[in-house]
Amino acid sequence: MSALIEIITSDYGIHLGILICIYLILAQSLNLTFGLGRLFNLAHIASCAIGAYATALLSTEFNYNFFICLLASMVISGIFAVALGVISLRLKTDYFAIGTLAFSSVVGAVLINWREVTRGVLGIPGIPRPEISGIDFYQNINFLGLSLVLMLLVQVFFYFIQKGRFGRSLRALAEYEEAAMSLGRNTARIRNISFFISSVAAGMAGSLLAYYLNYIDPSSFSLTEMVFVLTIVIVGRPGSFWGMFAATLFIILLPESLRFLDISSSYLGQARQFLNAGILFLVVYWKRNSLFPEQRQV
Amino acid sequence: MLKVSDLEVSFDGNAVLNGLSLEIKEGETVGIIGPNGCGKTTFFNCVSGFVSAFAGKIVFKEKEIQTLSPSERANLGLGRVFQNFGIFREMSLLENLLLAIEGNRKGASKKELKEVANDYLKDIGLQSKINSKAGSLSGGQMRLLEIIRTLAFGAELFLLDEPTAGVSPKMKDDVAGIIKKLQQAGKTVLIIEHDINFIQKFCSRIIVFNEGVVVLDDTPEKVRNNQQLKEIYFGQSA
Repeated sequence: MSALIEIITSDYGIHLGILICIYLILAQSLNLTFGLGRLFNLAHIASCAIGAYATALLSTEFNYNFFICLLASMVISGIFAVALGVISLRLKTDYFAIGTLAFSSVVGAVLINWREVTRGVLGIPGIPRPEISGIDFYQNINFLGLSLVLMLLVQVFFYFIQKGRFGRSLRALAEYEEAAMSLGRNTARIRNISFFISSVAAGMAGSLLAYYLNYIDPSSFSLTEMVFVLTIVIVGRPGSFWGMFAATLFIILLPESLRFLDISSSYLGQARQFLNAGILFLVVYWKRNSLFPEQRQV
Repeated sequence: MLKVSDLEVSFDGNAVLNGLSLEIKEGETVGIIGPNGCGKTTFFNCVSGFVSAFAGKIVFKEKEIQTLSPSERANLGLGRVFQNFGIFREMSLLENLLLAIEGNRKGASKKELKEVANDYLKDIGLQSKINSKAGSLSGGQMRLLEIIRTLAFGAELFLLDEPTAGVSPKMKDDVAGIIKKLQQAGKTVLIIEHDINFIQKFCSRIIVFNEGVVVLDDTPEKVRNNQQLKEIYFGQSA
């Protein structure tokens, strides 16, 4: 027990705590579109990247403070989501997934090739941690506190969204769109709003990530990251609010256990990816009949 | 209440509705029958807005609606009950009803909404299952839930697509009972049904479709004894 407390309060434990907060924001927000709305949204990490780069550029080039950068990251991610939504939400299921995947690829290509702004593969270093009311967020324990507050705010927000009228409408259109329409639901608008909300939260997670790492580059927002967040949502049971908590803890902490095994550090990264892929495969296979139920049609 | 003129719909070049015209007056209960593939469900889909007509006019409550979206038509009072059960199986009965009632009771508390939902469920004898998943209901119960949900939403014209499909013979009486309640409430009801014995209990008119047009429009008795109906269904000649 004392060893566990020691790990939790260690620098390593605090680092994991911050990661859990950031991934919980990402997972819960993806859960809105993918879990409740059954939108195969593969642009979530691209929204996170937009948020992260917005914070990185605004804080390093223009010295804007934490609140402005955070807000700007959320707004810019939201604007991109609206633009993407107008085009891709006209597409259904598989085509929507392809559309969002294409968007992610475009964002990745822009981050690498627009060197004048993003510095390409070199990334943006020196992102300053915030300082609010004299609290030094370069101390990781303080940054964990900030992450916890933001994460909890996001969770409370998504709880009410999911359990309220909007969440119900989203679940209805996911199950039987025409029946939802026959109850007066503007399903295109509901989808657009869910995509917007989800992307705004992803932008927030990106901003937090940029502040935490002090450095970002395009490799932090690859398809592998998208699959990682998708794995959390699938393991947590798409649509389940509390499932995201359990799955985030499980998916982040389980591969960490590999650190305590006698594995060379050069193989550790690959071993984690294999483990995540294995978990994803097993859950998808086990839940193959209920994970992606067919949408009914007239 | 509903006037449809010269409606034409085709899929992949195959005409399904060939200039179909009909008129339904407010408070009427009208049955629609016809052989498979004659365009009955396509007609409902077209009126509901799920299928676009390339020609013709649909007027509902004195308003042309063919350019409106399905949700806009629903909000005008057009209620649709689907052949393959339009309930949300993954949701509870309460949630199914909340989807119908919360839009027109803005400002009502959760408790008040639940009470309204409970009252509707009482009407169909399912109040004890208010928190059960709708997918756990029998076919007949699902149909009752869908019809009462459409009533709770505030529909004025009900398009019932084979309401007895997937319903046990015992539950058919319950479905007939709720259709009678709609009539008593002054609602206009259009029913697609294969079972002429079922619809003649409450229909003042029966319209017969064949090859995308109306071929008969008369009282149930006259339609039943019409030679043309036998020819359509059985290919018999007089």
